[in-house]
Amino acid sequence: MSAGQPPLSTQPAKPQARALHCPQCGGAITLRSFQQAVTVVCENCHSILDAKDPTLKILQQFRAITGELKPLIPLGTRGKLRGTDYEVIGFQRRSIESDGVRYDWHEYLLFNPYKGFRYLSEYQGHWNDITVCKDLPVVRSAMVSSANYLGETYRHFQTADATTGYVIGEFPWQVRVGERAIVTDYVHPPHLLSCEAGSGETTWSVGEYIYPQEIWKAFNLPGKPPEPVGVFENQPAPSKVSVKQAFVAFLALSIFLLGMMALNDMIASKDPVFTSTYHLLPGTPKGETSFVTDVFELKGRPSNVEVKTSADVSNNWIYLNYALINQDTGRAWDFGREVSYYSGRDSDGSWTEGSRRDSVIVPSVPPGHYYLRIEPEADARHPLISYTVSVRRDVPVFKFYGYAWLALFLPVLYVMFKALSFERARWAESDHPITLQTESD
Amino acid sequence: MFSHVYLIYGFMVLGLVGMAQYRGWSMDSMNEVKNVPRSIRDNPGAYRSIYSSYHHYTGGK
Repeated sequence: MSAGQPPLSTQPAKPQARALHCPQCGGAITLRSFQQAVTVVCENCHSILDAKDPTLKILQQFRAITGELKPLIPLGTRGKLRGTDYEVIGFQRRSIESDGVRYDWHEYLLFNPYKGFRYLSEYQGHWNDITVCKDLPVVRSAMVSSANYLGETYRHFQTADATTGYVIGEFPWQVRVGERAIVTDYVHPPHLLSCEAGSGETTWSVGEYIYPQEIWKAFNLPGKPPEPVGVFENQPAPSKVSVKQAFVAFLALSIFLLGMMALNDMIASKDPVFTSTYHLLPGTPKGETSFVTDVFELKGRPSNVEVKTSADVSNNWIYLNYALINQDTGRAWDFGREVSYYSGRDSDGSWTEGSRRDSVIVPSVPPGHYYLRIEPEADARHPLISYTVSVRRDVPVFKFYGYAWLALFLPVLYVMFKALSFERARWAESDHPITLQTESD
Repeated sequence: MFSHVYLIYGFMVLGLVGMAQYRGWSMDSMNEVKNVPRSIRDNPGAYRSIYSSYHHYTGGK
């Protein structure tokens, strides 16, 4: 035990490690879990020894091909993890192979003489706090199988053939290098349910994603933990926002917006203040067509004014230079509108383009006496064109509601996109990757 | 947290729509002119609209 380590749990008798020697190399062996250890690995010569045998019979010897694999938490390190004192007594590297690529992860075995064993697994900077299941999960096979454990449903993530590649320390089971097991993972972030089947037995364990900073703090480890790479299978989404919550809020606001629209449509006066029909005679010279309408009164608060134009154009156009002029103040709103309508028939069938009607909203027009100055234009060879101009005061502008709905939807879309991107990254390495239709082509 | 921020944002959007509607705002393009002479009523051709000489589309499909 190294100096400066925090003491183990404040329980009655203080446990002491048992010092032994490796029968292969004579190196010192420390048994930290006492009678619990079934195998212990010599750190010097990598002999796997029978911890139950008084002479520490050699069970297996392996060569560490990759050299000394240094655990991020050294064996013998003690710390307080989630309220319980633990000591790191074992470490193993395991791997799976998929499409010719080997994926390694590391497992740390923690021990407390009164609480038993606990595991920490680490894969590319992602950590899990793992314990053996207290109850047997129920597996359901459907299109994607799932497992139910303590009322939570876990979705199947991956089934793989895992191989133990490196071991060090002591273990409460007959550990061997080269040992294989079928590992099936089910996820329900931040939880992970894992089933290991091998050597005639099946073990279920449950894990919870744990941030590396918590482990570094718990074991008082120097420096900073390695940055996690990618998204791990049970990693909780970084954003606390659930798509469901966002949708509920969006739905509530949309209903509110719809209510506002209906209310506005009801209370808007839509007061018709002027309407008149005019004719643009054929061959009317340009520049001499302008005229003014009768004066009409706009009442109430400053509000919008709608100027509607409808013209009997057919395969031609009429353009109207408008000016809404306040007779009293000389203030004017100048705008131009085109009404054009074309139709025909070709190899695709009949077609139409444009509209015989047009509408424009003049903003925030104060009350007063107004008239329109109108200057119509048309093609040089135009026929007689009749057009009607009508003016309404205080009309609802539904376009605003459309834009507002879009403005409400965009943040939800962003949340959805973020969540989908995260889930795609999560499931990318699973047996059930999320793919878009276009990607399968 | 998002829900609160989003709701505040949402009600601001709704408030903006309410104000736009009440104040009579418009999204249509137009030019505002001041001090148009009263004589325009008698001589409408004297008014010069910035929208005249507009290039008209004369196409169709």
